[in-house]
Amino acid sequence: MMAGTDAGTARLISKNGITALLEALIGEWEVLAPVQLREELAFEPITHASQAVLDFSNTTRPSKNAIFPPCEVLFRYDGQEVHEPAFGRERVVFAMRPCDARSFLLLDNVFSGPPSQDPYYAWRREHTYLVGLACNHPSSTCFCSAVGGGPFDMRGLDVFLTDLGEAYLAEPVNARGAAFLERWAGADSGWYQEADPSAFQRKQELARQAERKLQIGAVLANPLVPSQTQERLESQYEHQLWEALGQKCLGCGACTYLCPTCHCFDILDEADDGSGRRLRLWDCCQFPLFTLHTSGHNPRPSGKERIRQRIMHKFRYFVANYGEIACVGCGRCVRSCPVNIDLRYVLSDLLSDQGQAEMTMNTGQCG
Amino acid sequence: MENTRLTGSPAGIAAVRSEKDVRNPYRPSPAVIRAITVENEARDIKTFQLAFGDEAARQAFQFRCGQFAELSLWGVGECPIGIASSPLEKDYVEFTVKRMGLVTSALHDCEVGDVIGVRGPYGNGFPMSALEGGRVVIVAGGFAFTTLRSLTRYILHPQNRDRFGELVVVYGARNPGELIYKQDLQEWSRRDDISLHVTVDGGDAGWTGLVGFVPDILKRVAPSSENAIAVVCGPPVMIRFCLPVLSDLGFTPERIYNSLEMRMKCGIGKCGRCNIGDKYVCRDGPVFSLAELQRLPKEY
Amino acid sequence: MRMETVAEVETKLRELAGVLLAEGKVDVVIGYERGTLPLRTTPCFIREAEAAGKLVWDATCEHNLARYLRSQRGRVAIVAKGCDARAITVLLSERQLARDQLFIIGVACQGVVDRRKVQAYLADRELQQATLAGAQVVFGGEGWQESLPLKELLWDGCLTCRQHTPLLYDALIGEPLAGDSEGALEEYADVAALEAMTADERWAHFSSELSRCLRCYACRQACPLCYCPECFVDQTQPAWCGKTDETTDLITFHIVRALHSAGRCADCGACSRACPVGIDLRSLNRKLIKDIKQWYGYEAGLDPDALAPLATFRPDDPQEFIE
Repeated sequence: MMAGTDAGTARLISKNGITALLEALIGEWEVLAPVQLREELAFEPITHASQAVLDFSNTTRPSKNAIFPPCEVLFRYDGQEVHEPAFGRERVVFAMRPCDARSFLLLDNVFSGPPSQDPYYAWRREHTYLVGLACNHPSSTCFCSAVGGGPFDMRGLDVFLTDLGEAYLAEPVNARGAAFLERWAGADSGWYQEADPSAFQRKQELARQAERKLQIGAVLANPLVPSQTQERLESQYEHQLWEALGQKCLGCGACTYLCPTCHCFDILDEADDGSGRRLRLWDCCQFPLFTLHTSGHNPRPSGKERIRQRIMHKFRYFVANYGEIACVGCGRCVRSCPVNIDLRYVLSDLLSDQGQAEMTMNTGQCG
Repeated sequence: MENTRLTGSPAGIAAVRSEKDVRNPYRPSPAVIRAITVENEARDIKTFQLAFGDEAARQAFQFRCGQFAELSLWGVGECPIGIASSPLEKDYVEFTVKRMGLVTSALHDCEVGDVIGVRGPYGNGFPMSALEGGRVVIVAGGFAFTTLRSLTRYILHPQNRDRFGELVVVYGARNPGELIYKQDLQEWSRRDDISLHVTVDGGDAGWTGLVGFVPDILKRVAPSSENAIAVVCGPPVMIRFCLPVLSDLGFTPERIYNSLEMRMKCGIGKCGRCNIGDKYVCRDGPVFSLAELQRLPKEY
Repeated sequence: MRMETVAEVETKLRELAGVLLAEGKVDVVIGYERGTLPLRTTPCFIREAEAAGKLVWDATCEHNLARYLRSQRGRVAIVAKGCDARAITVLLSERQLARDQLFIIGVACQGVVDRRKVQAYLADRELQQATLAGAQVVFGGEGWQESLPLKELLWDGCLTCRQHTPLLYDALIGEPLAGDSEGALEEYADVAALEAMTADERWAHFSSELSRCLRCYACRQACPLCYCPECFVDQTQPAWCGKTDETTDLITFHIVRALHSAGRCADCGACSRACPVGIDLRSLNRKLIKDIKQWYGYEAGLDPDALAPLATFRPDDPQEFIE
């Protein structure tokens, strides 16, 4: 590993330095950091550096929300006069995990791709800086390395932080990140210190430990190759597992609304006499209404078809369209499913060579 | 009371950036309703003739037969409707809408002079280059005739007619009152460059035309499949019975086309709801050959 | 008399399920099997007698399986705790189930674990193993192991449960247990705190509590009594409730759902436990449960022939609260 990335100079920032950096950022930009919000840890705008929690496993909700929010005004109208909302200031999402960062690269395919670019997503994407934090201690539900990511994966981020214990190693990942560090942790700031080779050695050590931890008891022992996964799933459309899962699945949106790569949305209008707004709201393919025709016909009439769609979309259809698996292995769906449907085991069943007779536990179909 | 988490806009509505107007694919173009035709006896199918508010929007809306647009009513919503007029009708664009849900009901309550929004054109349209130079067999049932009327008008236009071979149209509705585009049907019946067969499931006292279900009439008409492509649109049950007839006539799955209906929202392949397998009906469709559909999951 | 262990109850459950299936008395047994994460079980649908060994029974059997009953065809056996049986009773009173197609395997239950309490206790430590050992829960993670009395981690509702033994069953597994009256929590004490607030304070409290709601509807989907084919939130003509994450819409959804459940809610807690962001939904329902008890003298789920007070009218219905 080279000392610093090609993008610019890496530096060490002390814990106090990070606090000071956050305070400086807060003065000028909107800063979203992990915050304890009653029962959950969530990315929220902070007004003081002390609100930020930087020692955590992962937030309940992904940082996708900062760029693709659950509810967004597309237009306001008054009679026939129509306005688009103005966007706010520059923002930074601070201390997101590599899995969350990868999700933006995957979502870019959808929102930036043909036939048209989504200007709302594009603006936020352009004006939001992404500062990542390496995962020194992945949890046992994490499987990022099985889907092409990793606890020290820098892709998708502008700046990459590693907690070395006494200080953070801060590396610019691209030109934007280099500019960010120059501006906020420049040579003249009180919290700048050039990173020495031992810092990188320490980082490598931590990375190795993290990768090793991911392998312990991993359900998906081997990384999924997108093309092979796609091909395998092509023959699994009629697998008996779908019926079993559909029977057990509640049909709620917990997995969807916590997933960093889910992007389905609805467009709804709200009117108050002659004025109102057109909104974009998250939607969920697990809801029956999602594909319901006005005629009453529903191409996905039961939980079986809907849960199959979820998995096929992320591991087969998305691959067919964009060459990548639309899953970052964050494990949020695994932890949040009220009935403990575990994607890792579902994939393991679907992708195994054991055929349909053999199904591991947790598919809900006994006997 | 608005929650500041809702959008990225803290301080009211700032000046709109003009580049965004042109490039924002979610923004509908205003169009005024020039004329409304009630198409059927039940009065729940109406054709709206729209004229764009400005020249730039009119020019930008260059479409192909088989494409659709999202019609927008502020405060109500949007709905995807197939384009019913031919691309050569430059001064206006027509949409035939059946009153079924929230937005279509609100559309039906509109009057001449009202302004609605149009987003589009979207979709892939009919495979014109495949259709040219050969026989075109159009099979339509009920309300699904709309984009096929666009195709028929286009083919019959003097500029286009000699690029296509024989044109056979089999169209049916439940009863005579439910036949739409009655004026077109009358005009076409007087032409000799179209073989038109209009049928009803059940006639009435005044009906002197064909009586029978569309698949049965199609079988009777038995259009040749030589150098021919069939385009079939209608209710699922009609399509199901037409396919074997076409197959017996020698039409292969590559030479039978369908225009699919799907619940749609964005129309531009982003909201994720209209997919069949890895294809989005709004972006890769709505027109698919039977061969393509056979390769996709049966979720439509 | 020696109290049966949980393991013994589990064995009896497996035996009964196996017999019911082998003798063709039922087509499917709905129960719980071991989950993939510590302290988790997952609903299980058993159709072959040989698979009955997969059934488990312990304090992690937190789901209300009655939510699966309406969509079953044929004869169904279901593992039911006291609270689950209350929900089944309400479903029967609402004519949603055929009693003769149902075999209720009642299980005497001493309470289920509240995973949020476990999480709060662990703080930022990750739970990697957990075992229920009698009255203790033994937890472990990377390089640490501790144990806590199970009692400290039970779902609040279980601490004041009056039906440790279900009221309705076709077979009872486990020795009957008396309802709890140890006074661990005075009944409805949780509601008193809400009642002591001013209207503004309550509005602020619920706005804040519900502000994190994702509109995932896990609460609604987990509830056996939310079975409308079209939920009011999905109706568009008229649109009763918006779908945004603004306070008005969030509060409207939850309050209306609570009102639709008033007099029917079996207070099983499945909704709160299903919530992926840990919103305390139960508190909304508890006040309504108390009101229904106070004004109508009625509790849901005790009598399969009784009708919910808000679904019936009597000339002598109390009306002092109507202004």
